[in-house]
Amino acid sequence: MVFSSLFFLYLFLPLCVICYAATKKNRYRNAVLIIFSLIFYAWGEPLCVFILIISAVINYILAFAIDKYRGRFIGKLAVISAVLFDLAVLGIFKYSGFIVENLNAVLPLNLPVPDIKLPIGISFYTFQIISYVIDCHWEKVSVQKSFPKFLMYVSLFPQLVAGPIVRYSTIESEINNRRTTIDDLSSGVSRIAVGLAKKVILANNLNIIVEAFFGSDIKNLSVMGTWYAVIIYAMQIYFDFSGYSDMAIGLGRIFGFHFDENFNYPFICKDVSEFWQRWHISLSTFFRDYLLYVPIFGKRRKYGGLFLVWFCTGLWHGASWNYIIWGLYFGMFIFIEQLIGKKKMKKIPIAVRHIYNKIVIIIGFGIFYFEDLSQLGDFFKNLIGLNSNGFIDEFTKLSVTNNLYLIIIAVICCFPFAKVIQNISKKNTGFTYTIAASKIVVNIALLLVSSILLVDATNNPFLYFRF
Amino acid sequence: MEKNDRDFKIDVEIRQQKKKKVRKRYTLRFFKVLNAVAFVLTIFIIAVCMIILKRPEISETENRTLAKWPSFSVSKYFSGKYTSGIEEFYNDTVPGREYFKDLVADIRARFGIASSEVKIHGSMVKQGSKPKETKAETKASDSAAVKTSNTAVTTVKTTQTAATSTKDPLDDPNIEGEISNNILVYKNRGIMLFGGSYSNGELYAQYVNAFKENLGNDVNVYSMVCPTPVSYYLPKKYSDMTGSEKDNINNINEYLDGVEPIDAYGALMKHKDEDIFQRTDHHWSQLGAFYAAQEFAKTAGVPFAELKSYEKITKSGYVGTLYGYTGDNDLKDNPEDFVYYKPSNNYTTTYYSTDLSEEWEGNLLINLDNVDPVSWYLVFMGTDQAVTHVSTDVNNGRKLAIIKDSYGNALVPCLTGSFEDIYVIDMRYFDVNAVSYLKECGITDLLFAMNTFSATGSNFECIEQIRTQ
Repeated sequence: MVFSSLFFLYLFLPLCVICYAATKKNRYRNAVLIIFSLIFYAWGEPLCVFILIISAVINYILAFAIDKYRGRFIGKLAVISAVLFDLAVLGIFKYSGFIVENLNAVLPLNLPVPDIKLPIGISFYTFQIISYVIDCHWEKVSVQKSFPKFLMYVSLFPQLVAGPIVRYSTIESEINNRRTTIDDLSSGVSRIAVGLAKKVILANNLNIIVEAFFGSDIKNLSVMGTWYAVIIYAMQIYFDFSGYSDMAIGLGRIFGFHFDENFNYPFICKDVSEFWQRWHISLSTFFRDYLLYVPIFGKRRKYGGLFLVWFCTGLWHGASWNYIIWGLYFGMFIFIEQLIGKKKMKKIPIAVRHIYNKIVIIIGFGIFYFEDLSQLGDFFKNLIGLNSNGFIDEFTKLSVTNNLYLIIIAVICCFPFAKVIQNISKKNTGFTYTIAASKIVVNIALLLVSSILLVDATNNPFLYFRF
Repeated sequence: MEKNDRDFKIDVEIRQQKKKKVRKRYTLRFFKVLNAVAFVLTIFIIAVCMIILKRPEISETENRTLAKWPSFSVSKYFSGKYTSGIEEFYNDTVPGREYFKDLVADIRARFGIASSEVKIHGSMVKQGSKPKETKAETKASDSAAVKTSNTAVTTVKTTQTAATSTKDPLDDPNIEGEISNNILVYKNRGIMLFGGSYSNGELYAQYVNAFKENLGNDVNVYSMVCPTPVSYYLPKKYSDMTGSEKDNINNINEYLDGVEPIDAYGALMKHKDEDIFQRTDHHWSQLGAFYAAQEFAKTAGVPFAELKSYEKITKSGYVGTLYGYTGDNDLKDNPEDFVYYKPSNNYTTTYYSTDLSEEWEGNLLINLDNVDPVSWYLVFMGTDQAVTHVSTDVNNGRKLAIIKDSYGNALVPCLTGSFEDIYVIDMRYFDVNAVSYLKECGITDLLFAMNTFSATGSNFECIEQIRTQ
């Protein structure tokens, strides 16, 4: 099930909210959330839901062992086996095909490539579980004694299938006890409206443009056509993924959970390192906290760790080489920025820094798009005009005029203008009221327009479902 | 006294300010309550409406049956098809769907400045999914089966075929490739932009050559790669938007070895100003197919019936598949005529299931009375998912087999006066080895007939598949 479907918005969600509101005690409310979350997951993955439950049971038990035998060999063994188990589940269901294919290519083997369907959201919930067991080991959180509560944490449907990766520590107290205030409800529904609109109005329609250019043979694209399409694609991914995160955060708030932000206007970044502090924040902080200091590189761990993180970031996004290249590509620029140093970076004129990081980021999205490496090669040739298809073509011009308003709105929404206006409004009471009132109208309008567009939507799953 | 007075004033000010703050907080709180209530209420009202209002079963503008509530079975449940079926039903049969679809077209039209002359549409239907057409085909093949069957036995068999044709063709990766990603609407005509691929064309030629090699010198093999409207109706100004069909066809012809090319491109060019293509559909018209068939008959050295000898049937109000693909109201609001021609000589038509296990009699041109207008192209044989054998009153010792995509369908009635037997195989739906089947049939001529999108897209792989399976 996806959030951006009429079925979810107008059947699943209302039913869930009614049941949740009808129960008062935390225990029953948790039960409602577990049941609805499992239905939500089993709806698309009737079998894979058992992988999730088994994963939850094993980690729940191992966390007990970690706590009980803390500081002793068994305790350490429990952490290691929990993490290894989780990585193994991820490895089998996500990477076995990729690993076997590459082994076959390198070694004179002819192993049958396993055809395993990727269970939706496995990358997200596995990482959540890992964060829990490691935090237990580090005594950052106390062990969850109640299995239902732990299962609720793992399966919570708002963030189950496409993130953000919510740490156990973030919502530890809310799992045990929480209430929904009017503040939560109001900002929750606003986030849902905005997220839905980002996905349905912007991302889906930008996708139509992208497919028009990249969907078939890209050899015929002109220089401008290629740049145009990849810029549109960068915005599409941003609205797609951040829209989903917005909806997840909004839904969480309706049920009294406060998830951390996952996106913070990444395109306003001044350098590539900053981009990753603003893009998919829950993933970068996960790797920073749990992987960067793995002492496997000895004294050179600072840079070795950096490349390990970026290798893993790429690989996490998909079992394909282009994702790994994509991760290492960003790792390389961050490495270079570290070599230059923050102080020297600041001395570079701001315009130059913006041009530099936008080009790096946009080309990065091209690498992200083309899983086929030969197509990726054509893409690079197109960017600099090596395919001799001319600088600009009628097709691109027509596409820009046909979608001009959509593109302008999309570009505006990439930058925090709305936030700036809201901050200014705080100084003036009348202005504050106007903004608060117009928000209500805008939310309803976004909901209605998105819903109407959904009537015509052929299945448009969120892109991050693949990961 | 003075001091006290001032203190009092300050006190009042502070109190007033506090009051103001409290009032502001309450007002903002009121807006928050209003925001939450308005949003939640909207969701609930729409949810109730969606449950109690009558759900449509068919879509008139799209000319298709909408999704139905799925039947339950344990295996269906565990494959996820049952739950996804429910979701599809709920999302597809929204009350007032037609009205909202028009609204969507209106909203989309406001995304940019619509050039008065030309509009481009990215395909709204993903390649390979083509749900609308497939459903329409299934439905039409259903009705065709009922209409054309005379005996109880054939009815049973046709029902089975209909069942096999619903065995989820959506899962079949071979269906894709016929529809390009971009469709241009110019003067109420949908034009699919052509990508083309020389390397795929070379493979196509190799696969066709392999048939010639397998069948030997006794069988003449021909390749007719059919052009599409993009070669004839795309304004020169926009010619850089598309690949050249002519160059791609020439490229293929260069690689043919022992296989005779049929110049459908040139044959159609001479009749460019006639209705050789449908404006609103991705197929050509039978008239276009007729001119291509004429060229083929000339090359093959067989007799060819004049157009005058056919019975011309015109049906008005036709809006083809391109409306569904583009959602462009110019197409919907300007329906065209669908014209087809009935050959005058005698012939009988037998259909076989794609694995040849079932057989039933039928008509070559099916009755269109119960077929949705969007699917009228199905008049030729009713479905792609069957093997057709036409036995004619011609007596010249020539037996033809056509391996084709849907473009080939319209050729068949144009050739009933040219060959004794015609066997028609859709390369996407054939489950036995094609070479041994063709040898069994004792054919003398083999024609590959498909459009440029199939020949250089992904369908050409099917040619190799049916030869080697």
